[in-house]
Amino acid sequence: MSVRSSTSGWAFAAFPLAVIVVFTALPTVAGVALSFFEWTGGGRPKFIGIENYRAAILHDPQLIHSFRNTLIFGVATVPITVILAFVLAVALKAEWFVGKTTVRTIIFLPFVISIVAIGFVWRWVLDPHSGLLNMGLESIAADRMFADWPVPWLGDSPWALGTMCFVHVWRNLGFCVVLYLAALSRVPRSLYDAAGVDGAGSWQATWRIAWPAVRPMTLFVVITSSIWSLQVFDLVWVMTGGAEQPWTDVLNTHLYREFAANRLGYAATIGVLVLIVTAVITVAQLRWLRGSAEAAS
Amino acid sequence: MSAWSKPAWPIRAAVHAFVYILAATMLVPFAWMCSTSLKTDVEAIDVQQVALLPAGSVSDWKWGNYLEAWRLAELGDVYLNSLIVAVVVTVLSVLHNALAGFAFAKLRMTAKRSVFIAMLLTMMLPYQVYFLFAYILCGWLGYVDHLHALIVPFLASAFGIFYMRQSIITVSDGLLDAGRVDGLTNFELFWHVVLPSIKPAVGALAIFTFMASWNNFFWPLIVIDSQENFTLPLSVAALSSGLYVQSWPVQMAAATLITLPTIVVFIIFQRVFVQGLALTGMKG
Repeated sequence: MSVRSSTSGWAFAAFPLAVIVVFTALPTVAGVALSFFEWTGGGRPKFIGIENYRAAILHDPQLIHSFRNTLIFGVATVPITVILAFVLAVALKAEWFVGKTTVRTIIFLPFVISIVAIGFVWRWVLDPHSGLLNMGLESIAADRMFADWPVPWLGDSPWALGTMCFVHVWRNLGFCVVLYLAALSRVPRSLYDAAGVDGAGSWQATWRIAWPAVRPMTLFVVITSSIWSLQVFDLVWVMTGGAEQPWTDVLNTHLYREFAANRLGYAATIGVLVLIVTAVITVAQLRWLRGSAEAAS
Repeated sequence: MSAWSKPAWPIRAAVHAFVYILAATMLVPFAWMCSTSLKTDVEAIDVQQVALLPAGSVSDWKWGNYLEAWRLAELGDVYLNSLIVAVVVTVLSVLHNALAGFAFAKLRMTAKRSVFIAMLLTMMLPYQVYFLFAYILCGWLGYVDHLHALIVPFLASAFGIFYMRQSIITVSDGLLDAGRVDGLTNFELFWHVVLPSIKPAVGALAIFTFMASWNNFFWPLIVIDSQENFTLPLSVAALSSGLYVQSWPVQMAAATLITLPTIVVFIIFQRVFVQGLALTGMKG
């Protein structure tokens, strides 16, 4: 119920809403409109209909590459993040686990540090010649297992995509663990008791009771981490320099290059495509996870 | 205790080992960063041995790398810029979001419901589709290459308003009515009654906003050009592309100077951090 008031709520809400309208809503509308024009930022935009979309889908192999890489990014990182985060949260919740608080702190640590700094530090660890990883592998003679030594972890090869997926999971894991910890602590004890298991920490209790009980959180984690992987930019930028390479480019680095080259109409088109993909993926996941929740109950 | 409660010891040992190894991978890169930052250039790229500690005694270590990094990357200015932007954005946007959240939760507003739903829809928009015209707008306003561009567009957020509204709606109407009987205006109600009763949510939103601002990279990369207006992430990116220095130890000294304060602040406030973020995730 609203409390009776002398001044309207608009007195408080007008400025904050104006900020959102001016810097988000109107630019979105203008961006969608711009995707039907050719414009370099100066002069008059030239209307070209769906030409940008035709070019994007039919004549831009690098866009296809970056789209493929972004999808691989999502498909590889989302399930791993969800499963690992859940398993870690269960372990950290178990009464017999030693060092819960310390481990939680350490695992959460990368999430508070800027992705750019993280990418920078990993670049040094992964340096092909003097990085810690390759030197370590050499010192245990594991280099013989690789056909091309030293492995260019961040060169233009599928390795680089895998490496960046790893760092992406590595960085976001702690956040998802904390979310699952919160969700697990809200699972009522009576659920475990009813099933004849005593608290979290056993195989049965984990997969029969806890996993279904935290389904709403899984939905949230899946959608959030899917959106993260669609928005990935910082990590790729700092680890590869944002270079135009078939195996390391993602949608946002491609978009940035188009923007920097003043092809604004085309950049807007990529933005609209990202919008469409985001919407489709979110709606599909909502339906799928809701549907299977109903089937399970 | 039933037989289910505690798995057999080999399983417990395996779980511990797995979790500890994972936790170790979280620390190793930072340890390696600190270690490299105190080595000489030659030592750092010496492939003959993987030395975890720099050679010699503590006083032999290359502490000078830090001075050089600070000077070359002009970290003093960069820190100041980041701090100004993040503090101003956090204070003002939390205030604005809470005010708007209060209006949506407890005050009369024409077209409240439809405006609220429209606002929720803007939350779903990816920045890729609106950054272009936000940039053009900043150009018209004269904000490009100025800290204004990092502050003004962030003075309120749809997520923040939504989050504040969800918290404020739990404040009891009786409490507000009592305030009104005492003759408080809406703003006084907000300041003396609403804000104190939603402190944890305000804290969570403040942390979330500060982190987002402090770590923002894409937008500053778009609107900031000159080094004197760089924020930390821009400066790190410039460093990692070898703009100022080629030496890995000096670069890692800079990386340490950039990440260490965040690590220290996080460890001090980790309770608030972790609880706040868990709270944020739950309602979002």
